Amino acid sequence: MIEEKVLASSVVLLRSCFREYYFRSTKTVEEPAKIEKREIGYTRFGQSGMVRHLSFGSIRELAAFLIKEVPSDVYCSNACYRFPTYAMQEKQWLGAEMIFDIDGKDLNLPCVPSHSYLLCVSCRASAPVQEGKKPYSCHSCGGQKAEVVSIPCGKCVESSKNEVRKLIAFLTGDLGINQDSIRVYFSGNNGFHIYIDDPAYSLLEPFARSDIVGYLSGMGLMAESIGVRKNNTGNLSIIKFPRGGIAYGWRNRIAQKLRIDAGSVIKLRNIVDQKGGYPSFKVELDRMAKEMGVRIDPQVTTDIHRVFRMPGTLNSKSGLSKVKCTDLDSFDPFLDACLLGDNKVSVKIKTPVKFKLRHKNYNISKETAELPAFAAIYLICKGLAEAY
Amino acid sequence: MGTGDLAKYPFLGEAGDYLRQSGFDWEELGRPDMKDIIDRAVERIEIGSAGDIYDKLGRYEVEILTFIVSLIMIKSVGLDPLLKKYALAEARRAERFLTDDLRKQSETQKRSLFAKIFDDLFGVKIDLAEEDPRLFKVRVTDYLARSSHFHEQEWKLINRLVNKGYVYLDADETVRLVRNELSVLIYDKVKAMTLPTLPPVITDKANALRTKLGPRYEYRSHTASDYPPCVKHALEVMNKGDNLPHSARLMLATYMLAIGKPVDQIVALFQNAPDFNEKITRYQVEHLAGMKGSMTKYSVPSCEKLRNENLCFATEECAGIINPVQFGRKKSKK
Repeated sequence: MIEEKVLASSVVLLRSCFREYYFRSTKTVEEPAKIEKREIGYTRFGQSGMVRHLSFGSIRELAAFLIKEVPSDVYCSNACYRFPTYAMQEKQWLGAEMIFDIDGKDLNLPCVPSHSYLLCVSCRASAPVQEGKKPYSCHSCGGQKAEVVSIPCGKCVESSKNEVRKLIAFLTGDLGINQDSIRVYFSGNNGFHIYIDDPAYSLLEPFARSDIVGYLSGMGLMAESIGVRKNNTGNLSIIKFPRGGIAYGWRNRIAQKLRIDAGSVIKLRNIVDQKGGYPSFKVELDRMAKEMGVRIDPQVTTDIHRVFRMPGTLNSKSGLSKVKCTDLDSFDPFLDACLLGDNKVSVKIKTPVKFKLRHKNYNISKETAELPAFAAIYLICKGLAEAY
Repeated sequence: MGTGDLAKYPFLGEAGDYLRQSGFDWEELGRPDMKDIIDRAVERIEIGSAGDIYDKLGRYEVEILTFIVSLIMIKSVGLDPLLKKYALAEARRAERFLTDDLRKQSETQKRSLFAKIFDDLFGVKIDLAEEDPRLFKVRVTDYLARSSHFHEQEWKLINRLVNKGYVYLDADETVRLVRNELSVLIYDKVKAMTLPTLPPVITDKANALRTKLGPRYEYRSHTASDYPPCVKHALEVMNKGDNLPHSARLMLATYMLAIGKPVDQIVALFQNAPDFNEKITRYQVEHLAGMKGSMTKYSVPSCEKLRNENLCFATEECAGIINPVQFGRKKSKK
């Protein structure tokens, strides 16, 4: 999180490492299709706010800009516009890739507190998250407000990958999207972005995308869809399977879970009765559907005018790159996305910290350390260290 | 496509081809033997404008001519709300035939209907489901582009049978999916017409229709200041310069569009809003009007939705309405 409160020395180091990355790896920044029709935006080290509504004629032009300007983060619209540099209402939208965002922090994993740190919002002092919920008080300035930063562990990454696998199964199975039209990227911090390259989906408007989000996340499934109907008096239910049957999609998922098929009228009736009638069955159904659904950020997918971190650029929350995962199973973000240089850098460590990068475990309890640039930048970006 | 299909679906391109091939001339409408067609057209308009469905189905030559003559008359009456209502009635008539055909016809006949009506007119590819001859398959994206404007929960994708990129629908649902577009298609067809000099027999009937049906639609201008309480409330808040929630602004703008207020005047209503920006407001109103972005015209939120959002301030006069736009109509009929 690079804001105004980061020390000037840290900003100098960050800029120099980021510039070196963009200079060395001009080809790693991925050119989006029709780059000239995209809106490009960026943020700057030590300054708030995003510079938006830019446009570049080619990836070479953008690469030169990155070396010159050294942004902290670079964004590109999922939409193509006739006039990408105009104000939003005048851009003339031509379509937008459908993108899903799976964020590790939304998965509420039990391991997170063990590798999270509190960062005082006034003085940026940091401390490990304490067990038990005492009101926060900064040990350095007495400030009462802190933000939480997390250093994702292997389990976090594996859980996010599982959500990606679940999503891909929905997309290729239910929605019939070709596997070749799905691109998966590590977000550069703690999640994955999944892009769909299918012209039919690119033209869908927000309402339609929101319906897809509901489908994937298991929201709004009616009991009637799988044959459980309410009778007029309320609690009693009638079993009548829908005309189309229950062989596919969500109907099939629930049928499998309940171990029923289109002939199991009595069995389903018993299940509903056991749960305590229609209303309780509906509650149980909602719970099951939510559990079987994919945890995606609904707002990201429904927004057709959004800018997304550009593939191949660095994430200033970690110093890692947003990179394409060609093989999700073997992908290791702490190796495959850790692309900054390895020259030695001295840093002040704000709190004892453990992490793993490029196959090496770091367990730092001293107040200063000499680390390879990629590790030093990782800690500075997390707010857990400052340049010396 | 058989000639029987042209009688049921006279909006198809082939119906026009038939007219051209038969060398039909507008002048012929003045001939005495055309009287029956003209009377049928008048009847068709009167029934449609009353919200009912004209259910006569004669020989295709008669039906095609009746349909065309009714469109010419509607155009020459020149009342937009009447045209809208009539277009909807024609869509509902076609919907009835379509549903029936999809249920009863043979596989080959169904395929020809899919090609002609769904694919040619609306660009929706429909196929028969291999699993069940009573079911039809629509691509997920074609389905969503239409269903996402329906409010009912059962149209949500999650409540549909979905597999390998297709949504499975029965005959009624398949037709329901395109009903709105059918009405828009007929509306646009009439809008785009340029009328030749018409024989007096047509203009006389059109004038009579205007005199008879016109008053029904005049409430729009009469009661323009007599808004339903939810809209009045939103206007009061806005006039005081207080902040109005997004959902209330949406209601206000869609209501004003529905009663036919011009965009300029609607934008002006919002000028007291604390965050007023004319350019943005204009874009948003035009978007709601279906002039920008997705080109979809937004409808006024239902009374139920407004109640859920705490935007309903119902009075006794609201009795029996389910949408704020009906407020004026019920009132004006008294």
